[in-house]
Amino acid sequence: MTTVTFKQRRARLQKGDAASATLVHVLLIVFALIAILPILVVVLNSFKTTMGIFGAPFALPSPETFNLDGYKNVLTRGNFGVNYANSIIVTVATIAATIVLATGAAWALVEYKVRITPLLTGFFIIGIMLPIRLGTVPIIKMMVATGLIDTLIALVLVYTAMQLPLAVALMMTYFRSVPGELKEAARMDGASEFRVLGIALPLVRPGLAAVASITMLPVWNDLWFPLILAPSKANQTVTLGVQQFVGQFQSDYPALLAALTLGALPLIVLFSVFSRQFIQGLSAGYGK
Amino acid sequence: MRSKLAPLAALTVTAVALTLAGCSAGGDAGDNGDVTTITFGNWRVEDAALWEENVIPAFEAAHPEIKVTYQPTGTDDYNAAIQSQIESGTGPDVIMCRPFDVNRAWIDDGYFDDLTGLPGIDGFTDTALAAWQGNDGNPYCVPIASVLAGFYYNKTIFDELGLEIPTTMAEFTDVLQAIKDDGTYTPLALGSADGWQLSYNVLDSIGPNYWQGEDGRLGLIDGTKKLTDPEFVDAFQAVADLKAFMPDGYQSLTYEDQMQLFTLGKAAIMPDGSWDVTAATATGLDVGVFAPPVVADGDQRYLQEMPDQGVGLNADSKNKDAAKVFLSWLASSEFQSIYVDKVPGFFSMGSEPVTYTNALAQEFADLKTDALLTPRLQLDRLSAGNPPLDDNTWAVLQTVLNDGVSPADATSKLQTDLDSWYVPAS
Amino acid sequence: MIRTGTRYRLLALFVLPALLVYVGFSVYPLLSSVALSFFDSDNGGSTFAGFGNYIYLFTDPYVSERFWNALRNSVVFFGIHLVVELPIGLLMAALLTSNSVRRSRGVYRTLLFIPATLSVVIVGFLWRLIINPLWGLVSFPLLGDAATALPTISLMSVWQYIGIPMIFLFTALIAIPEDILEASRIDGARAWATFWQIKFPLILPQFGLIAILTYIWTFNGFDIVYALNGSAPGPNYSTDILGTLFYRTFFGSSGQVADTDLGATIASVVFFIILVTTAAYFVVLQRRLKTYEL
Repeated sequence: MTTVTFKQRRARLQKGDAASATLVHVLLIVFALIAILPILVVVLNSFKTTMGIFGAPFALPSPETFNLDGYKNVLTRGNFGVNYANSIIVTVATIAATIVLATGAAWALVEYKVRITPLLTGFFIIGIMLPIRLGTVPIIKMMVATGLIDTLIALVLVYTAMQLPLAVALMMTYFRSVPGELKEAARMDGASEFRVLGIALPLVRPGLAAVASITMLPVWNDLWFPLILAPSKANQTVTLGVQQFVGQFQSDYPALLAALTLGALPLIVLFSVFSRQFIQGLSAGYGK
Repeated sequence: MRSKLAPLAALTVTAVALTLAGCSAGGDAGDNGDVTTITFGNWRVEDAALWEENVIPAFEAAHPEIKVTYQPTGTDDYNAAIQSQIESGTGPDVIMCRPFDVNRAWIDDGYFDDLTGLPGIDGFTDTALAAWQGNDGNPYCVPIASVLAGFYYNKTIFDELGLEIPTTMAEFTDVLQAIKDDGTYTPLALGSADGWQLSYNVLDSIGPNYWQGEDGRLGLIDGTKKLTDPEFVDAFQAVADLKAFMPDGYQSLTYEDQMQLFTLGKAAIMPDGSWDVTAATATGLDVGVFAPPVVADGDQRYLQEMPDQGVGLNADSKNKDAAKVFLSWLASSEFQSIYVDKVPGFFSMGSEPVTYTNALAQEFADLKTDALLTPRLQLDRLSAGNPPLDDNTWAVLQTVLNDGVSPADATSKLQTDLDSWYVPAS
Repeated sequence: MIRTGTRYRLLALFVLPALLVYVGFSVYPLLSSVALSFFDSDNGGSTFAGFGNYIYLFTDPYVSERFWNALRNSVVFFGIHLVVELPIGLLMAALLTSNSVRRSRGVYRTLLFIPATLSVVIVGFLWRLIINPLWGLVSFPLLGDAATALPTISLMSVWQYIGIPMIFLFTALIAIPEDILEASRIDGARAWATFWQIKFPLILPQFGLIAILTYIWTFNGFDIVYALNGSAPGPNYSTDILGTLFYRTFFGSSGQVADTDLGATIASVVFFIILVTTAAYFVVLQRRLKTYEL
């Protein structure tokens, strides 16, 4: 067997590393382009005239084709300020409610094992498979009976119910890896159960971030329930507002594209911003 | 410390957000002092501006004690939304009605109040009311508008290529061939991705000239005719023959793509309904319209006139008196003049004649002269069961154009499927 | 250890709020609608029909043809996600954990996740524009051809959602303690070997989990097909999946009268299918995968 010196091996590894580093970057860049370019097509075309869009859909806006009429139409005819506010309220409230309720439930289901615990766990998990749209009519009837129809609260309640199963399941996996000794020590010090949960919370912070991001998307982008439970102009979410706008301006492509761009923007921005929080939360686990 | 604050912060955020959520206004209709607000549910999102700026203010000026909220839902979601809303008691006060079978199902389910005796309802002919009658023969919706089907054409292209409006199918083929041979433009702005418009704007437009309009349609209903009869097969063949003049990749072209193709001046002819008068002229083209050509020179001409929109009264409405006032106004010629003027391409169904200020709409209306009118073939009684002839036709037409299914096989399938549940009314 | 009695009380205290919301706004409405599947409400009034609707669903030639067609399409829809979305998502996650992207990790991660933040309206719109034979990059009518329509829409859905398994598997990968990886590096193992022999087996449970979640989501899926092709998705029902079949049956469409009982029946059958397969998966496979306490 040939002996390889440490220096030679390290040099070989470093060369290999450089090659593989390039490969990694190349692949990631390709994937990122595939992810972003299609979206850019929409965004760029929203700044063009109709002729510009269909004449050369993949060209950048030129001085002849650059046009802001689409945005003008959208901002005057649309209701975007209100829509944004509504979407934000509903999404934030749902995330908060889901996190609070799911964390409590997951903690208890992991911590307090009694005979019905597995049953309760299974009961929540089954919820992941349920098609909530099927329950639309009884939901509406309930909302009418409680006077909550056409309010944002109705949306928050339904969305929370929709997200809870997955959130509970997720949080349970994180809670399971909290060391038992930590909890026992706290209890022996006379801590209340709330305090013990409080001690466990930092360890499951990545789970909270995961729940928040998984909840944010389907709630913000949902078309169905805003249509049914909160359709009036004052209560429309961004997704519903854009959908209506698209229906109204089928032939007005610049306005259409402007509406779609404006509709997509908040989440992109939100996620880009929060992704830093996620990095911090996640790196708590990484730097262990 | 952070761990203690976090749940507290979360609870605070939740509480604040929920409060904000609860505080946002509910769009409730009802009495507010002397003003009653009624909601008008419909599927014309596209006409929101027109109704809110022109039609409703006219009504509210005449009736200051009533306010109307225009509440549109996109046409794909409309049926589902209305059903959910009515089933749960949150339906709008007045509701736009789909024609024929779908509406009859709604009537049977008790969605609407009988409108017999409503002031103004007798201003409509029986044919007009027929699309919205219950099985008891009573009117349940006020007819608002009908639509026509025809062929929009680009006058500039026709002039450039020296073409004349075709009056027979043979001439039509010649015109299409001439455009194709020239090579600059696509003859037909027509795609097959959206099956419904193949049915409503193509088959049901050129078809009546083959199956003699009401003769054919009523024949299917009473069982004396079958889709496999030669006149229907010929109509399907005529549709199949259009394939040669459709753009490349037409299988993926949607209804919106057609409109783009036409309005950007790249295609010469577009089969479409009159509701698109505004859209077809949006880019400033010189657009005309011609009627579906007859089969042979000298034949009686048939034209599709389809009752498209009616408005009915929600049986559970809490504001029926105000709603009825609105409905009566919709039956008046005052409303009809405003509506067809501001929403060109929709035609009044009232008995009194109306003139149209939009030139293209008037051109469309003029197509009715000397033509016998008939609604779309499939929607009356032939779509009440499963599979409904309407949806089935859409799918079958796509197979004819995309997969080369022969008209004979296509009509045979449709008739077999229809026979599986349909019992002809005797 | 906490006394059993106290445990019950604590369990109730912590679980009750979630349970109330969940049962009140999800379980109860669903059960209430599923109950419809046991009734027949033609001609007003509702009569108990036992399993009549279920028998009808599977024996009536038209209805059952639509059902089996939708089931086949759902399987294809899921299959494409399984074969494309998960492996590529795993690849992306693995690439992101590489040492060579330490500084640009956040940027890549955000960019790759952005499609998942879009609503289905914009996703459908932009892809339709790109593959439009008239002005797009592709001259073959991908959406119009019955053979290619479903795979095309499936790939659009994969493009949109791939960020989710990517993030999920990424967090699983970085949870692997450094010392395990350090050990293999000292042994001179290359990245490829490290990945397949050490990392992947450690995250198998999470991989399985995201696979089964993808299964559930695609079988309940609906939005992208609906956004692109409406509720009677063609061409010739080739893109009709279980979700759109349910929607069309339960709510009707502009050409089809609604049949809520049959719709509820379809939904119950779909739920049953999902339940059985998921349970089978957990019992058979997940047990075999060990969860390492890291």
